[in-house]
Order: sequence, then structure tokens, then C-alpha cells
Amino acid sequence: MQPFLKEFTKGLWKELPPFRLVLGLCPVLAVTKSADNGLGMGAAVIFVLTLSNLIISLVRHIIPKKVRIACFIAISATLVVAVELLMQAYAYPLYQQLGIFVPLIVVNCLILGRAEAFAAKNPVPLAIADGLGMGMGFAMSLTFIGGLRELLGAGTLFGKYIMWEGFQPFAVMVEAPGAFLCLGLILCAMNAFNHWQARRKGQDAPENPMPGCESCRACSHGK
Amino acid sequence: MRDILKMLVVLSAICSISGFALSYLKMITAIPIEEQVLTYVQGPAIQKVFSDVDNSPVADRKKFTLSDGRTITLFPAIKNGRLTGVAMENSGKGFGGDIGVMTAFNPHNDTLLGIGITTMKETPGIGTVIFEPRFTDQFSGKDLKNVAPKAQGGSFDAISGATVSSVGAISAVSNATKDYLELKPEILNTWK
Repeated sequence: MQPFLKEFTKGLWKELPPFRLVLGLCPVLAVTKSADNGLGMGAAVIFVLTLSNLIISLVRHIIPKKVRIACFIAISATLVVAVELLMQAYAYPLYQQLGIFVPLIVVNCLILGRAEAFAAKNPVPLAIADGLGMGMGFAMSLTFIGGLRELLGAGTLFGKYIMWEGFQPFAVMVEAPGAFLCLGLILCAMNAFNHWQARRKGQDAPENPMPGCESCRACSHGK
Repeated sequence: MRDILKMLVVLSAICSISGFALSYLKMITAIPIEEQVLTYVQGPAIQKVFSDVDNSPVADRKKFTLSDGRTITLFPAIKNGRLTGVAMENSGKGFGGDIGVMTAFNPHNDTLLGIGITTMKETPGIGTVIFEPRFTDQFSGKDLKNVAPKAQGGSFDAISGATVSSVGAISAVSNATKDYLELKPEILNTWK
């Protein structure tokens, strides 16, 4: 149970996909005009990510190394088309809102990233935990940005008006630049929070990632 | 050699399983998707073109077959037990893909009742003006002889700045007109 929980919770804060791993930013910027949209997109990603992790982990021993990326893409593309069909059949207004961004989940680097970095190397239960955790972290982040943008840009949250009377909405927040502003401010706030927390514990402030490719440590260059 | 063979087999197996699963899913979702499209895409357009009806045009819809083999769904409008209009969806080439237009005809004097745009991928703020009443309102009451843009000797104005989108929508109406004229005897037989 212990490792299961650990893999599940890491996606919720420590490796929160859009803000910590900074993965899958395309939908983060594009579909977060409202909290509803963010939640819908997040739910679609939870579904695809959990199932793709599950399937990839199941077949990880029979996939030859050289064609693994093609296999991962075939599996996630299948799941995305399934989500698209189900969304059209049972949640058409959401499908109209999300439009092109549902098929684009296929190339969301979060899906491929988790498949390659985690599901292909770990047993099924852990892969499911990782997919669920990462997916929920992603959905949470999308809903949060969507809510923030909707609140500031239109004065509503999940379609209900909650700001005070006479509130002037910042129209820019629901337009494309607002997404960049929001993302930047949130990343900034999270870094400030981490610095503050580290200092409180008496540790050194977490170092900034180096600008070059050394910071990623995925290959021999980073060691 | 064995490696290559294994790669081929695994990848083909994964792809064919995916293919089968998806075609099965497509089959079972076909009917709900059609209903959703009727409710959210065609329904509002139909309501716009038929203002005053007793029946539900969506529930009373019927499929017809054209002489070239295409099938087309017609939506009747009935008022006081009498057919007052019939609508169909057709499409024309726009700037960003096909523009779907719901066109309604009055079968008693062969005029257009009105149009409503259903689907399109036109540029927001530019091509999307074809959604606005200044474009769509010009269709109601016009006869069916000159369904073409004014530049081609027809009777409809294209919106300047959105010529491609307007011409696309007008050509959808003109396609619908051809289908309507072909099906008219059958329509009058089906609904009184």
C-alpha cells in the first residue's frame, strides 16, 4: 500500500504536471477559459492517462524496445478516439467547447511522458496509481487556472456570478494572453512558496534549474 | 531477423486490436451521437427557421433518397394539420472547411423560408459574420430561381470581407434548393 500511495500522491503536489513537470501546457493554456472546460478536459486526461498507463504496463514485457514509442502512441490514440466518441455521445456541449483539443490529447507530452518514464518500467498497480495521481493533478491544475481566469475575466465560477456588484471583469483574462499571465503568476507563486518553505526548514533554497540541457538528467549529458 | 519479425507482429497486433475496439465503439455510439447532433446542432437551427409550428420537426424527421443515391433527412413544419415548411441541411465550401446550412422551404409557393447555420470552422470575427441576421435574414421570402451570389447574377448579397464564407453558405442553400426541387413531389405526398 505504501508505494501505491506514494506514486499516487506525487502527482498531486510534488510533481504536479503543469506547474512542476511543466508538461502538457498546450491544453493548460488553450482550454482554461472557464472552470467547466478545465474540469472537462482534466476528466478526459484522467481517463486516457490511467488507461494508457494500465495497458502499457500490462504489455511492457512484450513491446520491443525499438518500436515502443509507436506502440505507446497507438495505444493512447485509441483511447483518445474512444474518449472523443463517448464525449460526442454523452456530453456534446463539452465536446463543442473543447473542440480540437480532445484529439490533441494524443500528442500531449504528459501521456507519452508518463508511459515512457513510468508505466513502461513499473508493475500494473503502481502504473495505475501514477496515472490516476498525475491525471488528477492535471485536472486540478486545469480547473484551478480555469476558475481563476473565469473569476477575473467574467466574474463567474462554474457559470454562476459570484463577484460583487459593479465588479469590472478583466476581459484579457479569458483571452489567450490571460492564460500566459495566469500560468506565469502561478509558477512564480509556487516557486516563492517552495523557497519560503525550504528556508523555514533551515535548508538551502531549491536551486534553479540550469538553463542548458544538463538540468534534465535524463541522459548522460546531465550526469 | 527475429527482432524485426517481433516488432512487426507486436505493432500490427496492437494496431488491429485498437482498430476492432474502435469500430465496435463507433457502432454503439452512432445512435446517441446522431441524437446529440440533432439536439445541439440541428435543433437550434430548425427552431430559428420555423418560428410557428404545432409539431416537433426533429421528432417527425424522415429520410429521403435522391436519384444519385444520397440520403437526406427532411424536417417538416406542420401548423393546423397542414405542411407549412420543410427544412434540410446541406453544406458548401467555406474558408476553413464545410459550412453546414439548414435551409427551410415553403412548399406552397416555392420560396425560401429562411436559413440557419449549423456547423462551420470559419475565422472568428471575420467569416463568422454569416451567423448574423444581416446575412441570414436576406433569404426569407426569396424565390428559388436565382439562388446564387449577386456577383454571379443571383439575388443574394455576400458580406464584404467574408466573401468566401458567404459564397459557401449561399452555395449550400443552392445545393439544398436542387435537392428540394427533386424531392418536392415526394414531400407533398408524405406530408399534407
